[in-house]
Amino acid sequence: MNRRYETVYIFDSALDEPAITEKLNRFHALLTKDGKGTLTNVAHWGKRTMTYKIKKKDTGYYVVAEFSTAGDLLPEYERAVKLDEGVLRYMCVEAAREQPKPVVAATAAPEEEELEEEEA
Amino acid sequence: MRRPAKTCPVCESGARVLDYKDDRTLSRFLTERGKILPSRLSGMCARHQRQLATAIKRARQLALLPYIKGHTA
Repeated sequence: MNRRYETVYIFDSALDEPAITEKLNRFHALLTKDGKGTLTNVAHWGKRTMTYKIKKKDTGYYVVAEFSTAGDLLPEYERAVKLDEGVLRYMCVEAAREQPKPVVAATAAPEEEELEEEEA
Repeated sequence: MRRPAKTCPVCESGARVLDYKDDRTLSRFLTERGKILPSRLSGMCARHQRQLATAIKRARQLALLPYIKGHTA
């Protein structure tokens, strides 16, 4: 069963956009191979200042990718991302599920009425 | 004297999950030095305080939030 994941990449801001897109395509090909996964969304945040230096750089190019894939493809993918010198940092986490809304009291009320009838 | 019950700011906003990528919202729950505000001060319910802690720690790893505010290496 596939799970939903999301990865935030911080690329070296010295790289130009085509180079970054090329790297992203290479990483994501590892996730979608053999039809085991699908890429749902890739959002480029662009250049932004980091709150502290990473690898002596002040700015990074942020990209967020959402995808669903089989878990056994992840180690190979993460290895490829780690080996890439252009990636300052990345974080791959399971995507947050939208939590179910609490059940409204009104829907629970009819059951109570039924109980009362039984008692009577 | 009973203090009025504090309400959770996240529950009130109608959101159910806190996003670690939303650094502007998360930064409201930091002290001036960048520590996570305790639920005693933030007024968060237990569920959201747990989510907040994880979200802030993730945001710190991604350099969206500082580990220590006002610190220059």
